[in-house]
Amino acid sequence: MRSLLDDDEGTLMERTGSILRTRGLRTEYGKGAALVRAVDGVDLDVAAGETVAVMGPSGCGKSTLLHLLGGLERPAAGEVWVGGRRIDELSEKALARMRRHAIGFVFQAFHLMDELTALENVELPALLAGRSPRVSRRRAAELLEQVGLTDRAKHLPSALSGGQRQRVAIARALSNEPDVVLADEPTGNLDSAATLDVLRLLDSLRSAGQTLVIVTHDSRIAATADRLITMRDGAFVEETRLTHGTTGRLSELAGLEG
Amino acid sequence: MPVQDQFQGYQLRVVQEVLLALLAKDASHGYQLRARLQLALGPLAEALNAGQVYVTLGRLEKSGLAHSRRVGQADRPDRKVYELTPAGRERVREWLEDTSWPKPAPAEFHLKLVAAAAAGLADPVRIVDGQRHALLVALAAAQRAALAEPDGSVAGLLLEGVVLRLQADLRWLEACARYWTTTKGR
Amino acid sequence: MGRLLLVYRLAARDLRRRPAEAALLLLAITAATTTLTLGLVLHGATSKPYQSTRNATAGPDVVARADPPPVGGRSADLAALKALAHAQGVTRHSGPYPVTHVTLGAHRQTAAVQVEGRDTASASVDQPKLTQGSWVRNGGVVVEAAFADAFDVHTGDTITLNHRSFRIVGVAVTAAMPPYPFTTWLSAPGGAQDHAVHPGLIWLTRADARNLAQQTASLSYVLNLKLADPAGAPEFVKEHTPTSPVGHELKPPPGLESWQEIGQQAANLVRNEQRVLLVGSWLLGLLALASIAVLVGSRMADQLRRVGLLKAVGGTPRLVASVLLAEYLVLALLGAAAGLTLGRLAAPLLTDPGAGLVGSTGAVPFTLAKIALVTVVALGVAAVATFVPAVRASRTSTLLALADSARPPRRRAWLITLSARLPVPLLLALRVAARRPRRVLLCTVSVAITVSGIIAALAAQAQLHAQHASGSSGLADPRTDRLNQVLLLITVMLIAQAAVNAIFVTWATVLDTKHSSALARALGATPQQVSAGLSAAQILPALAGAILGIPGGIKLIAAVSPSATTTPPTWWILTTVLGTVLVMAGLTAIPARISARRPIAPILQSELA
Repeated sequence: MRSLLDDDEGTLMERTGSILRTRGLRTEYGKGAALVRAVDGVDLDVAAGETVAVMGPSGCGKSTLLHLLGGLERPAAGEVWVGGRRIDELSEKALARMRRHAIGFVFQAFHLMDELTALENVELPALLAGRSPRVSRRRAAELLEQVGLTDRAKHLPSALSGGQRQRVAIARALSNEPDVVLADEPTGNLDSAATLDVLRLLDSLRSAGQTLVIVTHDSRIAATADRLITMRDGAFVEETRLTHGTTGRLSELAGLEG
Repeated sequence: MPVQDQFQGYQLRVVQEVLLALLAKDASHGYQLRARLQLALGPLAEALNAGQVYVTLGRLEKSGLAHSRRVGQADRPDRKVYELTPAGRERVREWLEDTSWPKPAPAEFHLKLVAAAAAGLADPVRIVDGQRHALLVALAAAQRAALAEPDGSVAGLLLEGVVLRLQADLRWLEACARYWTTTKGR
Repeated sequence: MGRLLLVYRLAARDLRRRPAEAALLLLAITAATTTLTLGLVLHGATSKPYQSTRNATAGPDVVARADPPPVGGRSADLAALKALAHAQGVTRHSGPYPVTHVTLGAHRQTAAVQVEGRDTASASVDQPKLTQGSWVRNGGVVVEAAFADAFDVHTGDTITLNHRSFRIVGVAVTAAMPPYPFTTWLSAPGGAQDHAVHPGLIWLTRADARNLAQQTASLSYVLNLKLADPAGAPEFVKEHTPTSPVGHELKPPPGLESWQEIGQQAANLVRNEQRVLLVGSWLLGLLALASIAVLVGSRMADQLRRVGLLKAVGGTPRLVASVLLAEYLVLALLGAAAGLTLGRLAAPLLTDPGAGLVGSTGAVPFTLAKIALVTVVALGVAAVATFVPAVRASRTSTLLALADSARPPRRRAWLITLSARLPVPLLLALRVAARRPRRVLLCTVSVAITVSGIIAALAAQAQLHAQHASGSSGLADPRTDRLNQVLLLITVMLIAQAAVNAIFVTWATVLDTKHSSALARALGATPQQVSAGLSAAQILPALAGAILGIPGGIKLIAAVSPSATTTPPTWWILTTVLGTVLVMAGLTAIPARISARRPIAPILQSELA
């Protein structure tokens, strides 16, 4: 199996529908006794259209993993493949170009540009990717409608609530129809009502077949995923399929049985 | 008891009290009551069949908490309409004022971990992980059911309760995992 | 007392926390006060050397001269000149001395000079003060100091006058005539003026002077007068200058000049330098203000958060304002002290009266009033530059200050819409610029000031060049040389200050856009696009500033020297503009590149808090 993979990983990945893949991924900070391996030997495969949640205590390396997947950081060892292309050896320039079309980021701190309206924030990645202003604007308007913020298009981020800001950020992540959306604690800065809004949005993306990798410590956000990976000390320790629960068990949980 | 077997696990007491309360304002027949329950339970009402409601109503009548009369219908057979008796009203009042709370039961699981560790039978962390796994699957199911509910659905509120409970349990399991991971080394 | 200590501690700690910023601010204030000190010290420094020369040489109150008529070969009206010696109000006189023009040869160069025949004994009026050697004797001449300097001759050298050898026995200064090259053409026989605009002055014995003259009739005569009332010299001149020109062709009346007029001309020697220095110090002062503004502005966001913290733990707005002001006032005082010292040290280099006049550098006025003025201006600059932020900061709501949104970036909707239509680097550049319009303005103004100064200096240079080309003496002109030096000095200082400004602005921009640059890269902008954008955000305002600087410089030179008609050649101007843009690109490229290559993840991660 291993040798088969090594022969031609790119095409194999496409054949198996795996859009994101890592092998032996590792990062290192510091030296000697102070050496920290935030990510230590991670093998991950994400199929196209799959939603994967990564959970774990803070400092387990889950955010670093996300940065590695999006090419924001470089691994000390191992490989990262996005859409059939190995990215861990790409130049900064090539990485930026790869991100334009393959990756959409959603951050805990939203990271919207303060001086740009919601609409202008959403159209920015399209403009950076060199699309025409008109096409970018139209796409941004569609996305804002999709996240239910058409009436807030002309508002600056400072005039939006936390949940609205994160929805704008999600719309922005979708701007260039990326292969995969990487979300880093998307509800970490939100109250429960806003969390619910974002949760609904992520769930609708999942239903629409968007590939999603969500790093979170909120079990509720993680529960929207098809698959849940638990990380501890930089490594995957457990993997759970979340798609086979039934309502029968729920009745019991709701206190209707037992 | 043969009668209780027919309830297929639904808690008799609750169904009794709920039906009594639903009758408190107006007299109602079995079909209406069942529809109301289904609305309130949403997807969780799947297991609730018509028989359960009628059997329970029969029991209530027998124990003097409700009584029924037949009402004729133009194009259909007659129907039984149920009303509360004074004893039934008293029972509803007591139920509404009752503050006993169906508690989650951490004690049993907690003791299971302690015992497993003491006897060296199993790694408590593995037990926690297994439990977590089960709860996460349940949470995912509850969440999906909750998300499928339309806005403003009353059953959604019940599912929200299930989700939040599971979240709280999962958080406690995290604490258990932390404790047993660190104690293991000692 | 405890309160003062608290303010002191907080201020000192903040300054130590950011030593680089404090040092830069100190540098900017020092630059501003140095130039201000120079400007002030130079003002009015010019009359002193002439005055001291006048005292040292028993300078005349009125100089009268009689020239032979331009035509007819008759001799000058010596009788009329002698009559003046006995006019009312005259207390003493010397002369009349014979004067003629000759051709000087030395170092294989020739120049037109005028020679004045003097007695070997010293005169009671206008006895030139020797700076080297001894007074005239037969065959031994004394050269006017500024001319000796320009012609590079010294005591002991041999020169030729009309091909006859003479030995230089001394070098001296006089108050009867402005120093070379402002020496007036005392002897003006027909055609003589053609070959020299600025003749040198040489003293020799009466006998030698007569011998050098082709004919006795071609001699002019000079008479030096001391008046009872030196202040009334201009009236005396007016009184004895005939108003009607009739018959002057045949018998020109004596020409008279008061010491005040001579002093004016002597002051010309330093006046142009003084003008250049004064204008230059203004420009430098403005640039220094621009740096201060950029620095204070870039510290603001950080300061506001600190203010929030101070207020959150119970500091009153007044305490907060005191701490901020204390910091800047300390810097201003240090800067003023450094500026005064530097200005004091540099002033003599620029006010050196040069050859031709006596006057020690100690004569440069450096009064307590000037020290006070410089200090007050420095404190004022610091206070104004910080008062607004201090008040704004102390009034900002604590919550806003802590949330760091107290200084939100500006939004220019039309610029953002426009930028969407441009290539990515320009899109980023315009948005960076739109965030901080005031900083862009400062950048533009700073470059405009510098380019104005450079263009004005080039225009002055072009003018000097043209004058030099028209003069035929071929001698080094001390005036041109010194002016050139001063122009160069000011230009270099302007460029240095502007470069420092450019670095400040870029640095502030890089810090300010650290987060949005990282974000743009996360969203797909390449590092090259980001660094090009950051550079362009500085280069575009610099280009605008450079273009504005062209008319600015031409207006400036017109204001400083209204007689100037020369504009520098077009290719000089184009080179200046192009050079400015290239220099800006060079200065901004490195910080922009560093900024665009920083790892993204830690920047975006650190914003979580």
